This record gives sequence, C-alpha cells and structure tokens, in this order.
Amino acid sequence: MPQLNSELLKHPFYLILHPFNGYWDLKYEWNKKTHLIVSFLILFLLAVTNILSSQYSGFLVNIYNPADMNSLMEILYVLLPVLFWCVANWSLTTLMDGEGKFVEIFTSTCFAFTPMVIIPFPWIWLSNVISIQETGFYYFSHSIALIWSLYLLFVGNMTVHQFTPSKTIGTLLLSVVAMGFLAFLCLLFFSLIQQLSSFVSTIYQEIDLRS
Amino acid sequence: MLSIIYRTRTFVLTTLICLLSMGMGSAAAHAEEAPASYNYSYWGDSVASPAAYRATAILNGDSLGVGPFKEPNDLHVTADKQIYVLDSGNNRIVVMDASFKLVRIIDTFDGKGGPDQFISPQGLFVTEDKHIYVADTGNKRMVHLDSDGKLVKVIENPESELFQEKFQFQPARVVVDKAQRIYVMAAGVFDGFMEFNANGEFSTFIGANRVRVDPAELLWKRLSTRAQRSRMVMFTPTEFTNLDIDDEGFIYATNGDRFGDTIKKLNAQGNDILRRTGYFNPRGDIAAMSQMVASRLIDIDVADSEIYSVLDSRRGRIFTYNGDGHFMYVFGGLGNRLGEFNAPSAIERVGDQFLVLDKGLGEITLFETTEYGRTLNEAVRSYYRGDEEGAFSLFQKSIHMNANLEFAYAGIGKSLLRQGKYAEAMKYFKQSKDQRNYSKAFLLYRKEVLRDYFPAVMTGIVLLALGTIVLRKFRQWKGGRKRAAIKQ
Repeated sequence: MPQLNSELLKHPFYLILHPFNGYWDLKYEWNKKTHLIVSFLILFLLAVTNILSSQYSGFLVNIYNPADMNSLMEILYVLLPVLFWCVANWSLTTLMDGEGKFVEIFTSTCFAFTPMVIIPFPWIWLSNVISIQETGFYYFSHSIALIWSLYLLFVGNMTVHQFTPSKTIGTLLLSVVAMGFLAFLCLLFFSLIQQLSSFVSTIYQEIDLRS
Repeated sequence: MLSIIYRTRTFVLTTLICLLSMGMGSAAAHAEEAPASYNYSYWGDSVASPAAYRATAILNGDSLGVGPFKEPNDLHVTADKQIYVLDSGNNRIVVMDASFKLVRIIDTFDGKGGPDQFISPQGLFVTEDKHIYVADTGNKRMVHLDSDGKLVKVIENPESELFQEKFQFQPARVVVDKAQRIYVMAAGVFDGFMEFNANGEFSTFIGANRVRVDPAELLWKRLSTRAQRSRMVMFTPTEFTNLDIDDEGFIYATNGDRFGDTIKKLNAQGNDILRRTGYFNPRGDIAAMSQMVASRLIDIDVADSEIYSVLDSRRGRIFTYNGDGHFMYVFGGLGNRLGEFNAPSAIERVGDQFLVLDKGLGEITLFETTEYGRTLNEAVRSYYRGDEEGAFSLFQKSIHMNANLEFAYAGIGKSLLRQGKYAEAMKYFKQSKDQRNYSKAFLLYRKEVLRDYFPAVMTGIVLLALGTIVLRKFRQWKGGRKRAAIKQ
C-alpha cells in the first residue's frame, strides 16, 4: 500500500514533465480506478488553492471584496467548467472517431490541471513578501502555469483520442463552442423548470384560496 | 403540561415571525435611494457619510430689496467676498457684500452712442481689480466694464479664417486670466474655448473636446447609402457647459458628455492635465455602477488647494473633489426643502461657504460647513501645503467622524511613512486600497526587518556550516582511528 501511495503521488509529477509518455501510460498502463481518485484529489486541491489565494494572497496582487467572497462558488467555478468541458469534449469526440472514453477524458483533463496547483500554491505566501515591482514574477509564473496546463490539455486530448495535432486543436476549439451551447441549454432548461414550477404553485394557491 | 408546550410554541412562532419580518424590513431598506450625503467606496457602492455642508439661509431679490430675480444665470465672488449676481431675466448685475447687503445694481452703462443695456446675458466674470466681463448673449457681444461700471471695450463680430461661414458670436460664459486674456465659451462652437487677447482680438481656440463615436451608430452609417448618410446627425465634438479659472491660470471646464471625462483641467496649450488618481474618475455620480443616468455637469468652481466642485443639473447635487481626484463630499438635491433646488444654474465658493444659484426659483441658497466638512477641508488643505503633521491629525479626526472615508487613510499612511512607522503605514495604505504606497512602505519595512534579523540568521548559518565541517572532520578522525585499530 505505501508503495502504491508514493506511486500515486509520483504519477502526476511524471506526467506533467513527460506528457506524451505520461498520458500513454495513463490511458493504457495505469490503473483507472486509482487514477480517478487522484483526479478528484487534483480537482479538490485546485479548488482549495483558488479559495486560499482569493483569501490569503498578498494585498499587492489581490484586492478582494469581503462581501463577494464565497468559497462554495469558488468550488463551483472549478467543478462546473471541468464538467462542461468533459461532456462537451466527449460528445464531440464520439462523433469524430475519438478513442477516448469519458473516464479517460476526465482523468486527462484533471491531470492537466496539476501545474495550476503546484505553481500558484506557494505564491499564496510568496505574494505577501513581494513589492509592487516584483509582482511581475507573480503574474509571469501564473501565466506559465496556465500555458503549461493548456499544453497538457492538448497533449492529453491528442493521446487519449489518438488524434493528429491539427485535429486536436480543432476539437479543442469546437469543444469550447459546445460548452457555450451546453451553458445556454442549461440556462434554458432551468428557466423553463422555474416557469413550470411557479405555474404549478400558482394553480395550487388558486385552488387553495377558492376551496 | 399541554399549556406549557402550547405557550412555548406560540413564543417560538412569534419570535420567528419577528425575525422574518426584520429580514424583510432590511431588504426594503436596501432598495432605498442613496442617502443625502454619501461617498463612493473602492467597490463603487455609495456609502452613507456625515453631511459636510448644511443649508443655512436663502437669499432672493425681495430680501435684498431689489425685486425678484428672474432666471439668474451666473454668479461670481471676488477675493474680498463681494458677490455679483447676473440677473439675466432683468438684464442687470446685482452686487452684494460679504454680509449679503446690497452694494449696487448695474443695469445700464454708457455705450458708444448713449446709454446701453444688456439683453439676456448668460455669463459674468469679475477680475481682481473688479473689472466686470459680461457675456451679453442677446446682443452677441462681450462687454468689459471697469470697477465703476464704465465701458472699457466691447468685443463684437470677431474675425478669423478659423471661423465657419455664417458664424455667429454668441458668448455664454467667460473667464479672464491674470494677463487679461479672455476665454469665452460660445454657443454653437465645437472647437473649444475662444481665446481673446487683452485688446479683445481673437487669437485661437483651445481645448476642443474629442469627437466620440458610438460604435452602433458608426455601423449604421457604414451600412447606409450616401443620401441616407447626409440626413443623419454629424459626429461633432460636444460643447463645454461651463468653465472656471484657478489662481495659477488653469482653466477648469465641464462638458455635457454622457461618458468619458466630463471634467477637464486645461493648461495654456489646451491639454487636459487633471489628475485622476481617485478610486473613480471625477464625474459626479458613477452611472455605470448603479444603473442610473449620468450626471450632467453644468458648473464648476475651483477653490484654493486645487479643491474643485461641480454642479449636477440632473439631480441638483454638488460634488467636491480634491486635486488628486478623490471624491470628498456631496450635498444638495432637487426638491422643495431648504438645501434643495428647482433648477440650479451656478455655484460659487465664498471661503468655505457655498452659494448655489437657483434659476427656477430666483434664489441663492447659502451652505455652511459642518464640523465634518471643516475638518475634511482643512485636512485636504494641510495635505496640499505639505504640512504632514497637520494633515495627520486632521485626517485622524475626520476618520473618527466617518470611518468609511477611504482616501483619508492614505493621508494618514503617508505621514506615518514619513515618521518611519512602516508597519503601521502599511496597515493604513491597505485600508485605502493604495497599492503603490503600500509597496513603498512594505519595501522599507522589509529592509528594516531584514536588517534586524540578518546578523542572527547569518551567524546561525555560518555556525551550522562550521559545525558540520567540524563534525565531519571529527568522524573522519574517529573512523581513521578505528580503521587503524582494525589494521593493527
């Protein structure tokens, strides 16, 4: 068991440094179930990092309005886009002869977020001891983390679906569009449900008042 | 037993209902209009603040004994606090002294051919030596009278190749600088202010407003045919609405734009040099934040220490800013009570008092400072003078009266920084969301801390290194002895 644990910790770090090998192993070699747990762990850590950085980052890089702070929303901001992304990507790639299963898409997406955890996390404390001239490093490393993650997402998608690079870029862009459609459909659905429920409750009230 | 349960139940229910209704009450209170006196927080919320000014008296023509004012348009106060009211509807100028007693009325002057009169004049300016400049709009001319009310010169039909054909000179507002140059805001002129030299000859336009193009309108224009386009409204720069001049000769101007910078400080070249370092650019109410119509600024008045006030005709409010663009206080409003106006047309500062001229009612409302307003004015003044000690205590005093006055914390922070109390200064800069100065204080603080701990830390590191070396040597020596023993 201890060996498994250390391996579980090692895999994300191996993957972000050797993305092609790492994603290949993730798809064909490694145990799916344990890596699903690791994926959720990464998502959890990402949410925690976001919450902590919005609360504890230095004043020079983060002026936050205490009235707008909401940790639950921060968790949603992580979970919802990932969920939307995976659903959109899965629905597209099944149509475009992608080889990836939903689980593989999900784990590869989550593993791609590892740099977004390990780089910004120390900066939560470091940003408290920098001056305004040094904030350039803060923003620089955050952009590095973002670009790294995007690159991993690209490689992950390519490996998981066994696509060519150009097709991968196309799918990624289309997935973003599909996410927009998904969001629109969700809003439509919820507003219709709201209308329907208010209609039913009004009828109930009417009957209740008349009887 | 049953009755006890019943009683507790009723009690719990009543408390619940009370709590619920309380919650609803507070929700209703949130929906209310902004309070009479407020300030904008860093986040753009209007936060209630103590009143800085209080209306104390109303002056009108009847109380002066000169008959009611009719549509008075402009007001000017000289350095020795003589008040000149331009009573446009009655075509006269009423002069009062500092205690609001009538001094004289100017309604006629000796023109070139006999006695002459104004026709619905709009603007008035009085220089330091009491020369009076009147924008005599109805007669399409500028009139310059000396301190006795004798005609000095008249500016009529200025000529220049810069003018368009069929140009009509309709001056509306006027200021004069120390070199006797005359700056005129004229109706229908989009090129800025007209500058005249001391002899009354037109020299140039200065400070034109930029043309602002609405993207949607531009798209329509692109899509339409030439015939359609010719019937559309032309994109023209907006006109200014008013102007004032400060002691150093800078012109402060307001314009009627709906967006962009509605307040400008023009230097001699006509460039805008207003400092906008406050949380929001000075422009009256922040419209974008609160879904309301933007303020329409129609008058501006510059006081000492770069403090300036603007008048919003849409809500009848007077906003005051300091030289850095920080919003200091607001007062006034539209309504029927004392301190509210019908159609305000001009404001003027007499020392620390305010005079607000109401065109609709023909009245002047006098506002006087409260304790809070006095403290804040003095604090900003001493900060402007560079008197950090005085500013420190005055800003302290003003945040005791209004803890939400965010920019005051920066003032305190700056003097703490000067005193070398870096950690404390950081706290105050954080309060006022001033990142630049926070960073300055932080750098000094970090240096101080490092200087304190560097010797200890360095000694520790050196000792540690020495210790490991010694330990290693010792082990080697011991091991060597052991090996030697084994060899033997």
